[in-house]
Amino acid sequence: MLPFLIISLILAVLPLVVRTERATNIIAALFFVIQVAGIALVLCLDRVDAVMLHIFRADSMALLFHALMTFVLGFSLIHSSSYLKAESVSTRSYKTYYTLLMLLAVAITCVYYSDNIAMTWVFLEATTICSAGIIYHREFKQSLEATWKYVFVCSTGIAMAYLGILLLSTVATHGALDYASLKAVIAEGNPLYLKVAFLLMVVGYSCKMEIFPLYTVGVDANYAAPAPASAFISTALVNAGFLSIMRIYSLYAAAGDVFEWARHLLILIGVLSLAVGAMFLRRANNYKRFLSYSTVENMGIVAIGLGIGGVALWAAVFHVVCHTFVKSSMFFHVGIMRHVYDSYSINRIGNYLNINRVGALGFILGTLVLLAFPPSPLFISEVMIFTEIVSVEKWWLLVLMLILMCVVLYSIWSRSLRLSYHSNQDELHLSAVDRRLSYIASLPLVVAVVLGLWQPQVLVDAVDNIVRVAPVVEEVVVEELEPVVIEAVEAVEAVVEEVAEPAVEVDATLEATAEEATPESEIELTSTDETIE
Amino acid sequence: MILSLIILYVLSLIYLSMADRFRSHTTILALQGLLLFGIAMARMHAFHPVEMAFIIVETLVFKAIVIPIILMHVIRKTQINRVTSSSTQFGSLVMSIAALIASCTITYYMQNSGADTISFGVALYALLSGLILIVMRKRVFAHLVGFLVIENGVFLFSMAIGVELPMLINLAIMLDILISILVLGMFLRRMDNDMNTDESDALTSIKD
Repeated sequence: MLPFLIISLILAVLPLVVRTERATNIIAALFFVIQVAGIALVLCLDRVDAVMLHIFRADSMALLFHALMTFVLGFSLIHSSSYLKAESVSTRSYKTYYTLLMLLAVAITCVYYSDNIAMTWVFLEATTICSAGIIYHREFKQSLEATWKYVFVCSTGIAMAYLGILLLSTVATHGALDYASLKAVIAEGNPLYLKVAFLLMVVGYSCKMEIFPLYTVGVDANYAAPAPASAFISTALVNAGFLSIMRIYSLYAAAGDVFEWARHLLILIGVLSLAVGAMFLRRANNYKRFLSYSTVENMGIVAIGLGIGGVALWAAVFHVVCHTFVKSSMFFHVGIMRHVYDSYSINRIGNYLNINRVGALGFILGTLVLLAFPPSPLFISEVMIFTEIVSVEKWWLLVLMLILMCVVLYSIWSRSLRLSYHSNQDELHLSAVDRRLSYIASLPLVVAVVLGLWQPQVLVDAVDNIVRVAPVVEEVVVEELEPVVIEAVEAVEAVVEEVAEPAVEVDATLEATAEEATPESEIELTSTDETIE
Repeated sequence: MILSLIILYVLSLIYLSMADRFRSHTTILALQGLLLFGIAMARMHAFHPVEMAFIIVETLVFKAIVIPIILMHVIRKTQINRVTSSSTQFGSLVMSIAALIASCTITYYMQNSGADTISFGVALYALLSGLILIVMRKRVFAHLVGFLVIENGVFLFSMAIGVELPMLINLAIMLDILISILVLGMFLRRMDNDMNTDESDALTSIKD
């Protein structure tokens, strides 16, 4: 792990010392290769679940999300190059952008692999600092505002999460803050402390996962950052937030009644995120903010899935995986749109189908997949979540979700069609279209559709493994009670046998006594009967 | 000894809610760094050179010297001096006292044998004071001060509940916070240059 991190870090800062953009591109390509090699090495050397440097562990969750991040990073690097060239940025700015993007990738990778709750916090804070430079890259008034808000709110929110970690660490033995050690002792913690800790951690990490209440900074960040970076932030970084919450969730699975409370809290946060997403999707007038609110809505569904548990838990993880492909593709398409129109305005731009047919079809297909129309993989995950909601008979939740999702469907579909079929509102300076980029941007979408039709066994196994470490409360109770019940039954049987042996002797004695006593009794009875007669 | 330091810490928080000059805010933050150093030292049961060195770096060097220097530098460069309106000061003083009462009440109900009750309550008060500064004040520099008050509160909180994190983690956390302050200070200056203001009201151009 250490050589991998050192090489990645060196490659990330190397663009600052080279002179040309071409050299920067080569370094970025090398960085991508190193990420792929890192994942391949862990798998080939069978280092899955091995603890590295005392703070990292390459479990299924980390490997799956690292692979997803690498996939998006590859596309993001390609699109960034053309985006920055179209923007005519200086070589210095070009190199800084690539450095920050790669540093962000390193920080996110560390979040994925971190096996220590405090180190997860440290690396999440590091992602804030790396993101800040990317958000400010375009250096206009709004980007400065978005950057300030992002750094400030994330830092304050994550300080709250740190408070939660401190409260949680009161149960830790000898300062051991790795997830396995904490899980072993969490049931002994003060329930009030555990509840407050969970609340603070989820609220703090909500700025990364882009869910209620601190979702706003993520939306602003995606708005201000260059589109290929937005694709990376709204997938890889959002996944980092999800993974951090998922690890806490699996930790709390051993916390008994507190876990039940935590699940209710996640349902509440999920519903509020879904409501906020539905409300602002109707209001947004910028395609990047529009897609960001769609992320808030999707992560709300994921939080509900976590809260419901059971099959919905599996569906939630699968939803995050598929959302990564869909959302990154949509952001790449929006980036190409900016090449064409020099604008993200929903109300102003249109006629995209005639200007860039491939891009427009890709965007429409992306919209359909995002709206979970079959064969979208999101259809599978959403149906699974609904099925579990029906099975636990939370009808109010089902009705509320269906209403909100109808609003989302209408908002997204009408806005997406406007881009393709609506005429331009005023004179816009149209640039030449690079159709190759549109084809490349559609590739993650194709992967998503394939996942909707066929889920490879590797992916299913990975999601199974992730869900296995975070069992729902019923399974925990059964697993915990099973040996206890068996022991208790054996103990009772032993006691019964011990009691039974003297009982048999007593029975035999009683029978013998009865046999001896029978003639007298019969005489007595006979005499009594005679008396009655 | 600890009690008198903690009372001084509470007074510093009350003064912070009333202070109208940013230089005073910075001085109070430096004083809080010194007080935290005193509290941490007084709480040490045995002499651990490494632990002691870390406390000195985190409180004396980092909280009492480095951060106030960074803040003073920002004040000089941006030439900001005062909180704009006095009404917000009175409001934040009232809110601060309300927060003190709320902290005492919450601490009373959350009493735990493993935690130092007084430090716990004061840490909670510090957290609420930081949030009040962020919400009530208009100038973004005051928000930065609020963030630092929260960080100091978190430090006191960790002492109150007696959590001892491994040194590597403590170091990483400290560096993270230091870099955050540097980044925030840098953007504050950039805001002053590009937007000619440091009022939070100016940060409303991003809308749906």
